[in-house]
Amino acid sequence: MTTTPDTARIKLASLAGLLLAAPFSVWAAPITFNTALPVQKDGWVLREQFVLNRNADDPDPAADRNMRVSGLVSVLGYGVTREFVLFGVLPYLDKRLDMNMEGQRVTRSDEGFGDLTLIGRYTAYTSDAPGRTFRIAPFLGVKAPTGRDDARDGLGRLPPTVQLGTGSWDFLGGVVATYQTLDWQVDAQLAYKVNREANGFRFGNVSGLDVSLQYRLWPQQLGSGVPAFLYGVLEANFVHAEKNRVGGIRDPNSGGTTLFFSPGLQYVTKKWILEAGVQIPVAQDLNGTALKNDYILNAGFRINF
Amino acid sequence: MTSMCRRTILAVVLALMSASAFAAQAYKLRVDGLACPFCAYGIEKQIKAVKGVEKIDVDIKTGNVIVTVAEGTAFDEATAKKAVTDAGFTLRGLEKMPAQGTGK
Repeated sequence: MTTTPDTARIKLASLAGLLLAAPFSVWAAPITFNTALPVQKDGWVLREQFVLNRNADDPDPAADRNMRVSGLVSVLGYGVTREFVLFGVLPYLDKRLDMNMEGQRVTRSDEGFGDLTLIGRYTAYTSDAPGRTFRIAPFLGVKAPTGRDDARDGLGRLPPTVQLGTGSWDFLGGVVATYQTLDWQVDAQLAYKVNREANGFRFGNVSGLDVSLQYRLWPQQLGSGVPAFLYGVLEANFVHAEKNRVGGIRDPNSGGTTLFFSPGLQYVTKKWILEAGVQIPVAQDLNGTALKNDYILNAGFRINF
Repeated sequence: MTSMCRRTILAVVLALMSASAFAAQAYKLRVDGLACPFCAYGIEKQIKAVKGVEKIDVDIKTGNVIVTVAEGTAFDEATAKKAVTDAGFTLRGLEKMPAQGTGK
């Protein structure tokens, strides 16, 4: 089977749900999504996260597609009030697609800044007690088309999943709840992202349910003061992407449902956090010949200032 | 008066002057919702912004924050509550601790 750039575009578009779901948590919290914990009024938190997203499990052996997206995701949070926090998320991406096309192995790629996402989070409910807290925070966000969406190479215009931006203004919203004690923490998030059309293409809307458990591994017994914590982290991410639309028509080889299990580690101090985790797809029910995910690696740090 | 007596009296006077000049007052804040190291930074930053605050000791295990302020500094419950609230937490109680020197 010969794969043209157009068919590659259609088949690979199912990746959009994963690539666009950049986590914006900046607290001692889940690695792959947000938290309801506070950012102090007039306080800043910066998160830098290296992400490697590898997709090489191609149901279409003739195309043998291999998609790799690596990047640095910068997240800046500012506490406007005790309850309201603004986040800005800007990724720098290196996208690369290798595939067979008309009997030859070709590589299509682009590198640069992606789309900027702005998110507002409001802590609607807080219940504090000695050594523990429970919070619920809805959030709303908008993704601006700041990334290049018309890049070309010798084969023509790059497919949408290799473009750095989508060209569209998209919207997201959801709610996150956090229960934190001195020993462990649980976060749960429900999110939905509405993607809009640009350049005759529209990524399918994405819904997600995420759960994270963080357990203090060290120190086993708390001393006085503010000791650093080592957390073991286990997360589950349920992601459902609807089918993409090309020229208004649903693409049967896009979208689907993926469940990730994501183990990780966090070293948390008063000023900074070091963390790393890997999202492993334990179940993938994708449509048609949509390209499957191998893993997503996350590593980075967060700073309070 | 012998030289030794003069030195002793001088030392006592200097010690009393020093204690008077640098007398500090400490307060114990009981903070609810404080449950991780990263959270403690916000508490410290907000309380440090209060004029006259000299030292802050956070103990996340007990949720106690000991704030030492310079003599004459007004550090009342309203001030403490605002700082703790702005940090994103809840002030459960404030109590004045016995006066002490700062050791500066």
